[in-house]
Amino acid sequence: MPNRLLDRQVSLLEYLTSAATLFSEEVDAPMDQSLHGIDQGLLRLEARFCCNRRIKKIIAVFPRTFEIIGADRGRILREFVEANRQTDINTLANAHQFYEFFLARSRSEAPTLPYLLDLAACELAIAKVRNNAEESEKSFNLGQSGRPKTAIRRYRSVVPLRCGYDVRSIFEAGLREVVPPKRDTLFVVNLAADSCNVSILEVPPGVFGLLVRLDDWVDPRTLADVDDVENLVSRLAAQQLIEVQA
Amino acid sequence: MTVGRPSPAVGIGYRAAIGQWTRDHLDDFDVLEITVDSCIDGGHAVRSATYDLVGRIPLTAHGIGLSIGTDAPLDDAYLSKVADIIERLKAPAYSEHLAFTRVPGRDLATLLPLPKTEAVAASIITKVRHVQSRIPVPFLLENISHLFEWPDSTFSDAEFLNLICGETQAGLLLDVENLLLNSLNLTFDPYEFLDSLTAGIVKEVHLAGGTVVDQPFLARPYFVDSHSHPVPDEALDLLEYALRRHKPANIIIEREGRLEAASELLEDVERVRTRLANAIGRPHAESTFGSAG
Repeated sequence: MPNRLLDRQVSLLEYLTSAATLFSEEVDAPMDQSLHGIDQGLLRLEARFCCNRRIKKIIAVFPRTFEIIGADRGRILREFVEANRQTDINTLANAHQFYEFFLARSRSEAPTLPYLLDLAACELAIAKVRNNAEESEKSFNLGQSGRPKTAIRRYRSVVPLRCGYDVRSIFEAGLREVVPPKRDTLFVVNLAADSCNVSILEVPPGVFGLLVRLDDWVDPRTLADVDDVENLVSRLAAQQLIEVQA
Repeated sequence: MTVGRPSPAVGIGYRAAIGQWTRDHLDDFDVLEITVDSCIDGGHAVRSATYDLVGRIPLTAHGIGLSIGTDAPLDDAYLSKVADIIERLKAPAYSEHLAFTRVPGRDLATLLPLPKTEAVAASIITKVRHVQSRIPVPFLLENISHLFEWPDSTFSDAEFLNLICGETQAGLLLDVENLLLNSLNLTFDPYEFLDSLTAGIVKEVHLAGGTVVDQPFLARPYFVDSHSHPVPDEALDLLEYALRRHKPANIIIEREGRLEAASELLEDVERVRTRLANAIGRPHAESTFGSAG
């Protein structure tokens, strides 16, 4: 039934998110028959409002990345919008979508600066950490030593991140001041319970590996292959990087 | 019902970004409007700060995520969350937009108009009744600003709202800025719109200030509801006119943009109170819904 309201609504949202509506030289991008009679200039204006709101959310997650991208920003964002129509209004979902696009794009066109992908990954991790911390309140009374431990998990507000550059310097010293050193770096991006500041900590491979494994609840007895696991778990619990379910 | 509460109560839409500023100026407002979706999606800190307002000032509840106009069943899980939040806020009413924002699989969070036809009205009436069966406080529908019309619309905005509100006993949240912008963009007389509304239908009012956009692909400049500037005098004129036939419980000033200029909200509140004094004088009758505080 072509005249069903839902079909017309679907057509309208398809039209409002299409690259042709947003960017083509001609205002009259091809439209479904069910939309005929609606002013296409006004639809383009509506489409651009929607698109701008989405872009604003994405830029808010990657401020340093976009500052470095500089003059290429408009071109990259346009390519992104052309390749990825909006489906969701969630900021993190759109940021994820942009990061995946940026990653894929870098395979065909290397970023102007080689550490840009690491910087973007780090900014996305910070957004995730903030979001996850908001989602779930930490319960810090579970990780005390001496309790029977049946399951452990990385806190939702802790994100392990492997980088090819030590991008911390960009966050510490500012964009223009430094070129981050090239070296494999294992980070933990973390929002401590008593702070609203996200920290980016470098951790040894053993800690990083364990935190990656603890994406979901794990019985610590299954971690016998980890050196000195009991001490390590106690230490990470005390540092509020993992939660322990008694 | 609490005797002595100013009616209409004048306040602002609570925004987390100016949460502390709002708490510092609580005495300047009679009421705050809470966006229920910020409690649903906003995380623990936003929820705590919002619920902390309960009992300190009357609160009313407003939604942006229902999409009552989507031609699909309403999301009952969402309505359950809204009902919980309304109970928590002790809100005396819940308002939403007569619009759609999404279809299955695609959400733009942009308020889009509906074809104003008998069939669509019938569908909305059924949905309003469904909302009323799930939400234990009066439900209000808000008129949106829209840039375009569906060509098969057979009702005017006022006729469409009268029909749906009349059949369901839902109230109208009259967004005066939206009315003003629509009258400028779609070229009709906003005073005729107000005259056409069923007397007493307006239970709450929104005010805001927008901007003008001009683009090469537009035939002329268009006025946009950006919620970023002081309320224009033309909107206050319309408010004063509307108050002759309606006794809204709350008048809420909305602000999303240029929040660094939040002090403009205090000036807007005073300008609204001056217009209220012109229109109805103070003190006035008790509020329609009573006090939540």
